[in-house]
Amino acid sequence: MIRIEGLGKTYRVEGREVSALDGIDLEIAKGEIFGIIGRSGAGKSTLLRSLNLLERPSSGRVLIDGEDITGFDRQRLHALRQRIGMIFQHFNLLNAKTVAANIDWPLRCTSSLTAAQRAERVAELLALVGLSEHAGKYPAQLSGGQKQRVGIARALASRPQLLLCDEATSALDPETTQSILRLLLDINRRLGLTIVLITHEMQVIRTLCDRVAVIDGGRIVESGKVADVFLHPRHPVTRSMVAQDDPLTAAMLDPAHAFAQDKLRGTLVRLTYVGDITYQPVLSDIMAASTVRFTILQGEVSSIKELPFGQLLLELEGSDEDVRRVFAELDRHHIHHEVLQ
Amino acid sequence: MIDLSMIEWGSIEWGDIAFATWETLVMTGVSLFFTVLIGLPLGILLFVTSQGQLLEQRALYRVLSFIANVLRSVPFLILLIVMIPVTVILIGTSLGVEGAIPPLVVATAPFFARLVENVLREIDRGVIEACQAMGIRTHRIIFGALLPEALPGLLAATTVTAITLISYAAMSGVIGGGGLGDLAIRFGYQRFQTEVMVITVALLVVLVQLIQYAGDRLVLHFSRK
Repeated sequence: MIRIEGLGKTYRVEGREVSALDGIDLEIAKGEIFGIIGRSGAGKSTLLRSLNLLERPSSGRVLIDGEDITGFDRQRLHALRQRIGMIFQHFNLLNAKTVAANIDWPLRCTSSLTAAQRAERVAELLALVGLSEHAGKYPAQLSGGQKQRVGIARALASRPQLLLCDEATSALDPETTQSILRLLLDINRRLGLTIVLITHEMQVIRTLCDRVAVIDGGRIVESGKVADVFLHPRHPVTRSMVAQDDPLTAAMLDPAHAFAQDKLRGTLVRLTYVGDITYQPVLSDIMAASTVRFTILQGEVSSIKELPFGQLLLELEGSDEDVRRVFAELDRHHIHHEVLQ
Repeated sequence: MIDLSMIEWGSIEWGDIAFATWETLVMTGVSLFFTVLIGLPLGILLFVTSQGQLLEQRALYRVLSFIANVLRSVPFLILLIVMIPVTVILIGTSLGVEGAIPPLVVATAPFFARLVENVLREIDRGVIEACQAMGIRTHRIIFGALLPEALPGLLAATTVTAITLISYAAMSGVIGGGGLGDLAIRFGYQRFQTEVMVITVALLVVLVQLIQYAGDRLVLHFSRK
């Protein structure tokens, strides 16, 4: 659906060239939820805004459904933007208009629907985001979560195929964040909508995204399926973001800091696994057939989006030969292991 | 100091005062109408052509901005005098209520335009960005989203301008402009009728208070924050 090739953006600040994006290559498939994560100033906002040309890239191409949008004239750009919804961190609602009028606004300006058809569509959207009773209120009378729901309804009004989310939950409390993320997931499934989001919170990526790209200093430093990136972060930025989000993972990624070295005698090993195996007594079977003894030092069993996963930090005690045999068995069952020391 | 015991209240021509009040209201009202008519589009133009805005046009912005600054830097009393020939061409006379209106408009329209520009600048940039992201055309963003968002601020700016006009209208009495200012100068000052001076000033105070009150009520009525 979206293909970004060699995208670059430079700004002129006081006569000097400052690079915001540098050689970005990305491919985003139809119907998927794609997350872009990075610290503030990493370039994620510029990248997202390049997808509807709110930011003009300095180099490279952005192809949507095979067409390079960077060459679009005003007319085609308007038409393109009408097919792309966008929601914002600070909602950006029109304060002078009611909830219903806010949702109606893009329809009034860009569609050929009659007033009655528009009213019907607005009612439909209000029901979709659960705000039917608040149609006549003004944004100032709503809570943050409700405002974002209006933003979502407004973004969906002209039936876009793509939704861009600019830190959509960063201004919300954790509980409201969860409800907005659930709504986005629900919309993605029911409407088959492709969603591209930017965030600085790993937790948003874990809850919502299928794939993720980590951006730092205007470059993509790591990307892949969320479970892979989350369980096996390679780049220092990714590792630090994973660690901030999840102290358990942090301890397992860096056991030297988490555990007293003098108490450890055996081999320190981190196991990770995803999918159905999470619910099977594989580890128990392997260890029962071996003389190797193990101690669980740290562990987590949870899910990423709906994919169950587990990660365990074990200390194995036994002969090198036996430990190697345990590793072979783990490999056979697709349990990933990495020896930490 | 004014010695109130010296005032001869019996000698006041109340008919003259009522008529002068009416003239002041007409001068202010008509001038306000033209000020908004000229200043509002000018203010919108100043805003949208400024750097980073919807229709960025640096050259045009600089020209408009320069003109507004020049007009605003001329003291009103000087403007009144400088404008006399222009006013004669426009209206046929530089005297009376009609003669005062052109200089009033020329003085306050750029002032009002600057207020409008500032009010529009106060609107969250994100709101404009959201409209752009929806693929809405620029003129609809300006008239359908921006101006309604700015309405309370525009009403407040209009109130400030109306009050400025009241005081400028009074000043136009110096060149024979009519209204309360004219009365105050001719009777209160030149003929030493202190009572006329006291009453005209009192009436101006009342007028300003009323306009401010009405303006505040309107702003409150249209505020959605």
